[in-house]
This record gives sequence, C-alpha cells and structure tokens, in this order.
Amino acid sequence: MTAPATSAPGASRRSRGGSLINGWAWLALPTVVFLVVFFIAPLILMSIRSVTDPPGAGVANYREFFSSEADVRVLGTTFYIATISTLVCLLVGYPYAYLMTIVSPRVSGLLLIFVLVPFWSSLLVRTFAWEVLLRDTGIVNSLLLSWGLIGAPLTLMRNTLGVILGMSQILLPFMVLPLFTVMRRIDPELTRAAANLGAPPFAAFRRVFLPLSLPGVVAGSLLVFVLALGFYITPTILGSPRETMISRFIADQVQTRLNWGLASAMAVILMALTFLALIAASRVVRLRDVYGSLEDET
Amino acid sequence: MRSLSRPTLMLAAVALLISACSGGASPAPSGAPTTAPTTAPSGASAAPSAGADVCTAPTAKAGTTLTFASYGGVYQEAQRKGWLEPYSKLTGVTFTESEDSSNATIKSQVESGQVTWDVVDVGNDFGLEANADVLEPLDFSLIKKDEILDGFVGPYRVADITYGVVLAYRTDKVNGQVPQGWADFFDLTKFPGKRGMYDYSAGGVFEVALMADGVAPKDLYPLDIPRALKKLDTIKDQLVFWPGGAKSQELIGSGEVAMSLMWNGRAWSAKHLDNKPVEIQWNQQLLTSDYLVVPKGTPNKDEAMKFIAWATCAQNNAAPSQYIPYGPTNKNSKPQADKIPDLAVSNVNDSTAYFDDKWLVDNAKPLDDAWNAWKTK
Repeated sequence: MTAPATSAPGASRRSRGGSLINGWAWLALPTVVFLVVFFIAPLILMSIRSVTDPPGAGVANYREFFSSEADVRVLGTTFYIATISTLVCLLVGYPYAYLMTIVSPRVSGLLLIFVLVPFWSSLLVRTFAWEVLLRDTGIVNSLLLSWGLIGAPLTLMRNTLGVILGMSQILLPFMVLPLFTVMRRIDPELTRAAANLGAPPFAAFRRVFLPLSLPGVVAGSLLVFVLALGFYITPTILGSPRETMISRFIADQVQTRLNWGLASAMAVILMALTFLALIAASRVVRLRDVYGSLEDET
Repeated sequence: MRSLSRPTLMLAAVALLISACSGGASPAPSGAPTTAPTTAPSGASAAPSAGADVCTAPTAKAGTTLTFASYGGVYQEAQRKGWLEPYSKLTGVTFTESEDSSNATIKSQVESGQVTWDVVDVGNDFGLEANADVLEPLDFSLIKKDEILDGFVGPYRVADITYGVVLAYRTDKVNGQVPQGWADFFDLTKFPGKRGMYDYSAGGVFEVALMADGVAPKDLYPLDIPRALKKLDTIKDQLVFWPGGAKSQELIGSGEVAMSLMWNGRAWSAKHLDNKPVEIQWNQQLLTSDYLVVPKGTPNKDEAMKFIAWATCAQNNAAPSQYIPYGPTNKNSKPQADKIPDLAVSNVNDSTAYFDDKWLVDNAKPLDDAWNAWKTK
C-alpha cells in the first residue's frame, strides 16, 4: 500500500487502456448504452422529478422529508441496520475466508460451495425460511419449548435481531468472496517468515496478514453496506415497524400515497448519502486499489 | 360516509335473513334449489323498478374486450365466476384480467395516456373527489344508484362488494371466553397473547383503538389521533403487523397471534379453508366495501359502464358471495341462503361502525405521518 506500489499499476493500466479503445473496447458499447438508457437516464429523470412534482416544488419535497419525524428516523435506522449487518458479516466472514485459505484445495472448494449455495436461492425464499425458524410458533422455539429449556417462546424475530440474522446471511457471500480473493493471494511465506523472526502467532497475524488483507475487508464491507442500504422485504418480514428501512417508505409513497415527487426526493437522498459513504471510505483506502485487486488476478 | 343511514342497512340485513330463512325452510316454489345462484330470475321480482334490459338482457358492441383489474387470488376468482363469466355468456364480451389492482397504476396509466384498464376494483380509500382527475364519472342513467346501500356510491365509484374489518380470534387461545369487542382486544390481562394488526393508517387501526377506549361508533370522526395512539401504546409490544390479507390469515392460522384485526373473508378462509379454530366477533365491525371505477380516457368507457351497471344490479350483485363471503351492495340483492350468516352486511347491528372515506382521504397525510411516527418509534 505504499505510494510507488500503487502508482505503477495505475500507469500501466492507463497505457493499456489507450490501445484498447480502438479494438476490444467496442464490445463494451452495448453495456454502456444499456446503462445510459436504463440506469443513468432514469436516475436523472427521477432527480428532476424530485424538484418538479408537484409543479413548482423546488426543495419542498426535501423540506418535507427532513421535517418528518418518521422519515428522518427511518433514514437513521437504515444506516444503523446496514452498519450492524456489515459488522456481523465481517466478524463471520473474515475467519471463514481465512479458513478457506489454510485448508486443502478440496475442502476450500467445499467451503466455497457452502457460501454459494444459499446464494442460488431467492432472497424471498430465504427470508421466509428464517421466519419459519424464528417466529414464536417456529421451529427453534418449538424445539426449545418441547425440551423444557424455556417456559415461553423467545422473541427471535420482529426485532433487530431477526433483521440482522436474515440480512447477514443473505449478504455474507458478498463479504466472503472479496475477502477470499485477497487472502489467497497473500504469500503464506510472509507469516512464516514473521514466525521465524520470533513473532508469536497472533502478532504475526496482526502485523503481517491482517494489514495485507485490508483491501478485501474494505471491498467486502463496502459491497455489503451499500447493498444493505437498499433492503426492503427482509426488514419488513423479520422486523417490526421499528426496523423499517427507507426503501419501504419510498415504496409506500409510490404505491399508496401516489406522492412520486416525495418518493423521488427520498431516493435522491438515499443515493447521495450512499455516495457520501463511498467517498468517506475512499479517503481511507483508494477504491481503485480495492476493486482493482479483485479484477487483475496474477 | 357519515351520511350513511344505519337503519337502512339494518333493514337490508333483516331482509336478507328473512329471505334466507324462508328460502331454506320451504321448498322454493319456482323449483330453484336453495343452492341456486342468486342470479336466479326470482330475484328480479324483488326489484320491480329495475330496468330489465341492463340487468337481465345486457348487450354489448360486437368484439368488445374489457380489461378487469382486481386484487387476484380467491377474491378475483369469485368475481370471475360470479360476474365475468356469466356476463361473457350473455353479451359476448371477452375479459382480459389483471390481478394487481393499484391506485398507483391507475394514476400512471392516465398520466402516460396509456389506459389499458377499463374496470378496476379499488379499496375504499380511492375514487373520491380527490381522484377526479384520473377517473371517468359513472353513467347513472345505467347504474341504479338508488338501489345501492346509502353512502356506498359516489360520482366516480360504486361499491361492488361489502366486507367487514372484524375482530377474529383463536378459540383455543381465549381460555374459553369470547372477546366481546375491541375493548377485549386491548385487554392483555383477560386475553393474553399477541395481536395481529393491519399496517395501514386508513385500515381501521385508529378506529378500533378509539372504540376500545369507549368512543361510540357514530362519534369516531374526526378521529382523535393522539387518543388512539395512547390506547395503541398499551398493546404495542404485543402487536404483529401484517401488510396484506394473506399474511393476516397465516398469522392467525399458525397461532402466532391470539386475535387479529382482519377482513372477514380472510378470517372465514382461515376457518373453513385452512380448518383452523378461528371465529369472528361481529360486534363493532367496520363495514366497508370495494368499489368499481373507470380510469379516465379508456377507449371502452361505454362498455365498462354497461358492465358495472349489470354487476351492481339486484339480480347479479351477490353472485361472488357464493364463493367468498363478501356481500352485495345492492339493497335488493339476495345472496345464497347458506352464505348469508358469513356476510358482513348480515351482521350489522347497533355497534357496527363505518369508515368516513372522505375524512380519511382529506386527512390522509396527517394520519399517515402520525401512524408512521408512532410505529417506527
């Protein structure tokens, strides 16, 4: 992460890019057109709507949002839940990804499949599965009750716990995969060298392995955090209204209140804050290094 | 809906019960078995004023296709079997259906000028003056306004089915007692256990809290929001919120909740289709309805009006109630005898409450803001 190390690949990428524009780069054209038509243009239209609906709205929709007790609270809840989910994913995902790097390739492949299999089923199915497990009359409570371990059902869902459990499980692959990609490229000889030089195992890990794995930590955390900000159905099913997230409120404004101007403003606010979070993160670590480490496998 | 006359409704309910009893006790002179659909011609005698053509011999322009949008599931199936299929047979009109009726879609269709829905079944929070810019005024030279329950028809909408927002309870979770009304719903000492609640500010949440707090049904409006929220606070930790009817049926069916505010059709389904120990307390039900509206600018406006007129006629209006206990809105309609006890209109009494749709729509924003602020706190 020293300055010379980061500037060199950047320079080489620029020169490679120059030669590519004339040839293979045209293959990206359909994707670029698609993104502009179906992503960038709607975003611009939505931003315009946030200040023109109702006619002459100006900043009225934004003022309305920030003067609403519920809207501001829900925005806070959204960032709070996204943060907790990210931390939980990191706490679970880091040791898991580390384990994947130290076992035999066969076991490592098996562990990878364990992470990916839930990834293949729909978010909705997994959320309902959590509900069947966690509710008062659910599997966990029924078992605990029948074994006499508890006298009354535990409240495992319709609270923050349920939401975090459900979201963390759904988001875990987005943490494990970037971590694993970075960790497997860390030369095991480095930690061994540290041990040879007299570092106790934990010190070797903390001072050698951990810093080298940081790009993976940042990449995974950003991915999970940004995805978590947009969660909608999982907090609705596994949480109580106290865990309502902003996407749900946006949908309510669109579908029930028909207030598309305010809905647009809410979406713009969420988007702006997401960008702010990314910018803040980029001050800690250069995003290009983080995601670059994912793309150019050596 | 404050203008709604309760005596009229009670009379209608009594009339329904009488017709049920007579129909069930003696062999029908016309030879119609008691299970005959209510579209039997005998119903016509009850409405001599009804113009025979619109109700009994409707006609349509050849090759007409109408798009009917409703809420899907068993509900729309009942409307299909009760109305769409018979109407197709009579007139040759073909129906395309959409199962995701939503106020937002009507708005977007009208705004974009691409109106593809001709007849839409909407909830009681839509179709008032506030939505005049996206709806066609109904043709009351065809639709028999006078036969519709008082208060259930307006310039842009006519009620097609009635239902009740009721207190449903698990018979195995009330210690052998019967909850008598919303006060018992809020009494966690007498009836411990969780409560299902609709997560919608205009869905009855404030009304039932006020009734539980002793407000008479006729004095509900204007809603005393702080008082309702204070009452709701007393059971907040025990509330389980449901976003739509299917979830309410599942919550009470699985026993997650001991009681729930529910739509009577969903409580009926939990009992009769899922075979769960669920009963309805009809006291203090909120009687309300779904409405038919016509989005502004549909090319099939005239045919849509004819269909709506036919479906709200005395002879035809109760037909879906054979399949799901959502009752008629035409005062002269006669539902099938064995279905009558399960209909909200048959269970109207002094304690029955009604939504004031106009007040709810006019005050939608403060109501919604108060609800959102309370529930997320």
